[in-house]
Amino acid sequence: MKSVLARTISRLLVVLMIWSPYHMAQASMIGTDQVVSPASQLERSTVLNFVSRSDVSGQLQALGLDPATAGERIAAMTDEEVRSLAGHINALPAGGDTVGVLLLIIVVAAIWWVWRGGFR
Amino acid sequence: MGVERRLPIALRAHRAARDARLAAGVFLCACVLLVSGCASLWPQTAELREALPRGLPERVELEKVPFFPQLEYQCGPAALATALVSSGIKVTPNELVSQVYLPGRKGSLQVEMLAAARRHGRVSYELAPRFEDVLREVAAGTPVIVLQNLGLIDGWHYAVAVGYDYRRGELLLRSGETERKALSFTIHEMVWKRSGYWAMVAMPPGRIPATADEARWLAAIAALERADAKSARIAYANFLQRWPGNLNAAIGLANSHYELGELRKAEAVLRDAARRAPDSVIVLNNLAQTLADQGREDEALPFIERAAALGGRFEAAIEETRRTILQRIATKKR
Repeated sequence: MKSVLARTISRLLVVLMIWSPYHMAQASMIGTDQVVSPASQLERSTVLNFVSRSDVSGQLQALGLDPATAGERIAAMTDEEVRSLAGHINALPAGGDTVGVLLLIIVVAAIWWVWRGGFR
Repeated sequence: MGVERRLPIALRAHRAARDARLAAGVFLCACVLLVSGCASLWPQTAELREALPRGLPERVELEKVPFFPQLEYQCGPAALATALVSSGIKVTPNELVSQVYLPGRKGSLQVEMLAAARRHGRVSYELAPRFEDVLREVAAGTPVIVLQNLGLIDGWHYAVAVGYDYRRGELLLRSGETERKALSFTIHEMVWKRSGYWAMVAMPPGRIPATADEARWLAAIAALERADAKSARIAYANFLQRWPGNLNAAIGLANSHYELGELRKAEAVLRDAARRAPDSVIVLNNLAQTLADQGREDEALPFIERAAALGGRFEAAIEETRRTILQRIATKKR
């Protein structure tokens, strides 16, 4: 319990340290992303968004990225996108396969052929 | 088998006939199911078959779109490179591996495909889940990345639509190791439907997708602003030519000017917006901040006071701006 808390706090601090210069410079301008996103999404605090970012960074690292690469990737995502990844990375589709490819194509082609053939 | 061998020949023949009848019955049932169920298996193709959507040519092929044969598991980088190079960026799939490929998943996530295109100054736009929209984008000259599931369970695969032939009912794709794959609309829909009809384009900031929806296109530009303010500035300006009345786009344009240190330009855009929408607290706040950053706190004060009086969901940010401006005025007087 204690270590979970400690880990969360340290993560939070790391993220805050990385982000604070950028954040402070922008502190008084209202950002476009805040303007164009629905009001409901604003209810999540900025701090929570930071936590999601560090969460996703940890998950990407667990899947083989180094911290710098993970950070660069996340920097180009919107808050909403980060939230869609948080906790779901292992369940989301990851395009890359070619092995299964032939299998389904063959099955579908066979069904198709039978179906067309059955009509003539 | 041993028992079978000892059975009289007549009985064996009878059994074989019964098995054949059963097989035929199963086959017939399967056929009936397929035929009756087909329209619901590929509803959009069924719709397309009725008529070619208005304004679309019968045949399109973007022959100039490059082809990068994918390396093992790396259809994400290959598909993204195809779209990016076609949009005018010099990049190879290899350079994109570190931006989209996830070793632990042996593939690339959709969100990362969207985010990576932004890192190259392109606006990533997710199309509405409509077959017709893919055809429209291709007809407008934009290759479309689609996510298909070609496996029985988990065969996620990115391919790039670069053309179609309506008469033949075929979609043309750069896919895997095939430079020109012709896939029937029906089969494409079956494998594409499984991703929830997911499709994206990577647009140069000076162009608007043929099927762009005003609000979603604006959100796509705002997402780019974080990664590349210069490109976002071009995209906002272009957006405002098409939809001049959109206040949020004006705010975005001003914000990207501000991020690039072009305070005068940001001010001009915001003043114009404030004339059109005098009660927008966002415009008032950002205008006040922009003026204050030019050392013109006295001019900024009435705008931020007005924003504070109006209240609303940005109260905290406005209060912070107001406090900063008052502090700076006090410091100057000392």
